[in-house]
Amino acid sequence: MTTARALQMPTGLRVANGAFVAFWLLLAIFPLFWILVMSFKIPVDSFSTNPLQVIFGFETRRTVGGLSFLDLALGIVVLIAAYRLVAQTIGKAAGYLSLGGQVWFGWILASVVYAIGLALVFGWLVPLVFGLVNTIFGVIPLLNALATPVVGLTTEHYRAVWIENEFHEQFLNSAVVTAGVVTISLTVGTLAGYGLARSGGSLAFWLLVVALVFRALPHSVLVSGYLPAFLNSREWLGPLWESGATGWFFGLFSDEPPTLFGKHLPVIIVLVSINQPFTIWMLRSFFQNIPRELDEAARVDGCSHFEAFRRVIIPVMWPGVITTGLFSFLLAYNDFLVTSLLLDAEAQTMVPAIAQFFNRETTATDQVEAIAAAVSITAPLFLLVMIFQKQIVSGLTAGAVKG
Amino acid sequence: MAQVTLQGITKRWGAFTGVSNVNLEIADREFMVFLGPSGCGKTTTMRMIAGLEDPTEGEISIGDRVVNALEPKDRDIAMVFQNYGLYPNLTVYENIRFPLKVRRIDPQTHDDRVHRAAEMVELGDLLHRLPRELSGGQRQRVALARAVVRQPTVFLMDEPLSNLDAKLRVSTRAQLKNLQHELQVTTIYVTHDQIEAMTLAHRVVVMNHGKIQQIGTPTAIYDNPANTFVAGFIGSPAMNLLDGELQGGVFKSDNVAIAGLPADRNGPVTLGFRAEDARVVDADGAQIAAPIYSVELLGDATMVTVRTGGSLTSVKAEKDYRAEIGDGVGIGISPDICHLFDKESGQRVSLAA
Ligand SMILES: Nc1ncnc2c1ncn2[C@@H]1O[C@H](COP(=O)(O)OP(=O)(O)OP(=O)(O)O)[C@@H](O)[C@H]1O
Ligand SMILES: [Mg+2]
Repeated sequence: MTTARALQMPTGLRVANGAFVAFWLLLAIFPLFWILVMSFKIPVDSFSTNPLQVIFGFETRRTVGGLSFLDLALGIVVLIAAYRLVAQTIGKAAGYLSLGGQVWFGWILASVVYAIGLALVFGWLVPLVFGLVNTIFGVIPLLNALATPVVGLTTEHYRAVWIENEFHEQFLNSAVVTAGVVTISLTVGTLAGYGLARSGGSLAFWLLVVALVFRALPHSVLVSGYLPAFLNSREWLGPLWESGATGWFFGLFSDEPPTLFGKHLPVIIVLVSINQPFTIWMLRSFFQNIPRELDEAARVDGCSHFEAFRRVIIPVMWPGVITTGLFSFLLAYNDFLVTSLLLDAEAQTMVPAIAQFFNRETTATDQVEAIAAAVSITAPLFLLVMIFQKQIVSGLTAGAVKG
Repeated sequence: MAQVTLQGITKRWGAFTGVSNVNLEIADREFMVFLGPSGCGKTTTMRMIAGLEDPTEGEISIGDRVVNALEPKDRDIAMVFQNYGLYPNLTVYENIRFPLKVRRIDPQTHDDRVHRAAEMVELGDLLHRLPRELSGGQRQRVALARAVVRQPTVFLMDEPLSNLDAKLRVSTRAQLKNLQHELQVTTIYVTHDQIEAMTLAHRVVVMNHGKIQQIGTPTAIYDNPANTFVAGFIGSPAMNLLDGELQGGVFKSDNVAIAGLPADRNGPVTLGFRAEDARVVDADGAQIAAPIYSVELLGDATMVTVRTGGSLTSVKAEKDYRAEIGDGVGIGISPDICHLFDKESGQRVSLAA
């Protein structure tokens, strides 16, 4: 959308605005950039007091090797091209792959295909081609300067984290917990938020306000409340298994009551219960912005209550659902306190695992490995934001009512 | 058979009464128009018939079923909302098609029906647009097309033409009337445009403050208003209403004396007559004699207004009648064009002969 000239900001304000955003970006992005740089260097470089040495990794370059100008230039081009290609074609591909069936199925299939494709390109094709190009330029006089390494680079820390330390197990644990939390919060949140927004029952509203207030409790208080119950859950839950009325039902799942401590499910439940009031609140306000006439028109046109919700409300609710989903994701993904206290070693998620890396207090190499692990866990966030950036931009209900 | 019956319908929000004790029988295939000033409860009544609002008291039936407990979808109605309620994520085509799709009507017929409905409101070349890319009037036409795409038992239309330009309004009005005649569907139509009400309706319901004032054919309502509200609301200009005293068949007020009225009632009354029924005459011996307050040229007539007592009284004169403000003028009123209303209750007390 273009802004009318008369409504545009004056130049001074625009410059000030831009400068402020740039400054803020620098503050926010610099630490991320710095640990990214550190994670690719050997410890001597990473912890050097000379910033240039951290960036260019003199020692790393000498002992392991690095990237040449050619690599850097080509790398940027390939990255941008790959992003463009994926962004432009994945929608169509999803359309093809849904094979006339459900669209979401097509999207999942397309994502898998693209992920495999990208992994192949960056894991195999790119190193091969770049190596070849560098060798060719290396033998041409004058141009061989372009092919000599300038920035030191080593991937040994990443290899150590993901292969030797089997970080993928923690990654999977994180994935399970996060997926569980997001799914449950969004399902409960959309239904409850819709109900609250449309019925406006005052009792439910005040319950929600109270729940929101409880969210201000330090999480450690909550956890210490849950902890004994989870540790002794075998005794607590005993009666359910023993009584005649309910025993047969719970017996279907296990022979005797489970110990909840250390399992994923209880952590998911705790995280959801911390987060749910906020999710419901947020979704409720999104729903309230959807004109009532939409449900009403749908119901007159022949939808049941639930059908109206599914066919008419949900399609215009995506921005709200995705934005709220991102918040839930962040909470579950970054949670330290609940996960570190309620999970055993086997079920541990990434964030407490990284904290342990840092606390091992051994060599400098371990520290850099911890940094590499920390950088690794930001990757999914980037992916998510990139995928959903279009949907986060709101405004799907324009044109529905007279307004 | 789809007569619609409202029995003692009342809607309250806390202490506020939006609609109070409405009793109404709408016959099968009838075109019924709800007419009334803004905020009088037209939309609320219609929403209760649609099932979008529960009546606080009373019973609604469509056909021979009591529908109070039925979901909107089971009442088999189609509705045009006052502020459209279009589906913003669907194109015009899909918006119009939605009711067909949801009600699982044979998909083979969809394309035909959608095009027919779109043609009717001249939307043919906008079918691929999204609602946000349309003007207000175009959106309203989509809402109308979505309602008429299917043949329900009852059409409910809440000011469906309010945002159209004058020309389109006249042609769509004619098409609506024709469509209703063709489909023979009971139709309830809300408007505050009298011309729309007069041209479309078989019968009109005049409402005010949540109460029904009068039910009748357009002619009956125009010729025999049941009370001063209807008299003062219907017609352009509305009926002249004069407060005064009736004594022995003579109505008296400032500058006014009308003889020959029924002699069986004495005391304060309100007298009404229509501007087009009275004549401009010489001031001598006229029923009303007063200086001119204003003269308006309407094209096909000239409207002359005088001040009588506290109120203004208008009369239509020949189109070439000319006079200055302040000139004395007389208005000739024969007793048979007069309507008498009770001064307190406003109810009609005797019919004009
Ligand atoms: N949800 C509500 N809560 C309280 N009062 C309401 C509510 N909805 C409507 N009202 C009131 O009920 C009365 C009737 O409203 P309604 O919408 O039926 O008017 P209307 O005749 O359709 O007017 P218009 O011609 O302006 O559309 C109004 O005075 C309005 O303020
Ligand atoms: Mg209304």
